[in-house]
Amino acid sequence: MKLLRRYWLTALAILVSGVVFLIPFAFIIMMAFKDRKQAALLDFSWPQGLHLWDNVVEVVTTRNWMLLTAFINSSILTVASVTLLVVFAAMVGFVLQRRKAKWNGLVEFLILAGLMIPPAIVPTIWLLQGLGLFGKLHGLVLVEIAYGLPFSILLYRAFIATIPRDLDEAAIIDGARPFDVFFRVILPLLWPVTVTNIVVQSVAVFNDFTNPLYYLPGNQNATVQLTLYNFQSQFNSSYNLLFTNIALITIPPLIVFLFFNRQIVAGMTAGAVKG
Amino acid sequence: MAGLELKALHKTYGQVPVIKGVDLSVSHGEFVVFVGPSGCGKSTLLRMIAGLEDITSGELWIGDRLCNAVEPRDRGIAMVFQSYALYPHMTVYDNVGFGLKLARTDKAERDRKIRDAARILQMEHLLDRKPSQLSGGQRQRVAIGRAIVRQPEVFLFDEPLSNLDAALRVDMRMELAKLHQDLGSTMIYVTHDQVEAMTLADKIVVLNGGVVQQVGAPIDLYQRPANLFVAGFIGSPKMNFAEVSVQSINGGMVTVASKDISAVTVAADTKSLKVGDRLTLGVRPHHLSMDASGTLVGGVSLVERLGNETNVSLRLPSGATWLVVLDGDHNLRPAQALQLAIDAEKVVLFDAAGQSLLAAM
Repeated sequence: MKLLRRYWLTALAILVSGVVFLIPFAFIIMMAFKDRKQAALLDFSWPQGLHLWDNVVEVVTTRNWMLLTAFINSSILTVASVTLLVVFAAMVGFVLQRRKAKWNGLVEFLILAGLMIPPAIVPTIWLLQGLGLFGKLHGLVLVEIAYGLPFSILLYRAFIATIPRDLDEAAIIDGARPFDVFFRVILPLLWPVTVTNIVVQSVAVFNDFTNPLYYLPGNQNATVQLTLYNFQSQFNSSYNLLFTNIALITIPPLIVFLFFNRQIVAGMTAGAVKG
Repeated sequence: MAGLELKALHKTYGQVPVIKGVDLSVSHGEFVVFVGPSGCGKSTLLRMIAGLEDITSGELWIGDRLCNAVEPRDRGIAMVFQSYALYPHMTVYDNVGFGLKLARTDKAERDRKIRDAARILQMEHLLDRKPSQLSGGQRQRVAIGRAIVRQPEVFLFDEPLSNLDAALRVDMRMELAKLHQDLGSTMIYVTHDQVEAMTLADKIVVLNGGVVQQVGAPIDLYQRPANLFVAGFIGSPKMNFAEVSVQSINGGMVTVASKDISAVTVAADTKSLKVGDRLTLGVRPHHLSMDASGTLVGGVSLVERLGNETNVSLRLPSGATWLVVLDGDHNLRPAQALQLAIDAEKVVLFDAAGQSLLAAM
């Protein structure tokens, strides 16, 4: 009784987070094991018979192996966008934090505007068409970078403020040119916040549904999130295949989380100055 | 072989002048120390020489090159920072070799130079460590090693010892002096610690408010301060000052007196003086001694007995407080009256503008 009184809030928290996070996941997994008939009931029931393998084969081979194309597209999109995001955001954050110029106010306003103002789809498509980038993967890469940049810049700038300026100056005296200062001294020290950026942005880009839908039409251009439409329509949905698809495309972000959660990123700047 | 020449150097931040026209010449191999209170511009001046701050106007010559617009890496300088500024993600070996790597020095050559520097500083066993695994003194050594491998014409030190504890500071001070002897390079050193200034310098530059107050050998500054500021800043404990008026002038000798001092006759530059002028008299705490026929009387307010000497805080009739350092041990009680003689040869007089009236030597 005493135990209950002491830990009821903890128990409740665990229970709530279990309901919120684990039950939907369990639902996805169980649906992936069901056949079409049982899945159509959309209930939380134990699967009758193991149909996982059949479902997987069907999902992967649907529409001429579209899921594989989608995985390749999504991987290219995610890797390219996140790499460029990290480099550009770190550079902007560095310059913005270190060099006080009269532009800074304007740049900060634009960053904030990028966070707050909702993206306008039609003008963006018009612009992409003008540049000949509409419906091209690299066009979408640029769109993802533009949407992700403000948030990443804010993260970087705050972190760069904690790196003593003496380090830049020591490097300059040592003969470093601006690019050396950034790539050899500052960027390695940004590792903790770079990891945060990689995790947050790659999950966001990989899981992005609307932007590929707007800016990357065509079967050859499908990204993983768009393959969900293969099994869903107004009158006819194959829920077992839909959830198998969901389970498959959830695996990469899951791996990213598991991998980077293990990274110990603290203490990189320890010893830079007297500590 | 490089000296240094500063000609009418100015620096302003917006409208605020920080360095107000500094002229200075440093010859090759000299150890020059910039001292001054916080905010006097000594670090700014050093950073202007390093190229980390732009020069608003004036000329900076390093060797026989005008360096106003030369990049820091091409000035032939190396700098040691107060915070050490070691690159935390690199080992000591890479820290020391970073400049060489950037200069694309050949690998064997680089290795030799790094190991040479490590040997000079006795830190060969530290080469594989990261800065976070080093103590303060070791980090300082690495920072100096990073400067040495560049083989600069001029070393710049920005308060390099102020982050170390007192005992280590004394050790490092001696090592720096030894390093200067061994390398024979020009060194410019910024500090607010006047013991460092007095012990290390060939030449001290006293700065205040962005203006050079006096340049000279440490002992000259101590014995013949150019003005009130230098007199008060150099020497520890501080010089005692008193308002006095001129009683009589006799050739190169002037007799002054005040409420506290009955009469002292001092050698001075008397050209512009006349009887009745108000001057400031300065005398160091060490130049006062107990004397029953002395010209100064005061009440003891505080006594510090150090064994070899006794520091006495003295309350004068006018209400001013003077500090007296007496040789040997004296058992003085608070409120006791003390009669002191002033060593007239060591007294310095200052005119109303604060300039010293020392007789020409």
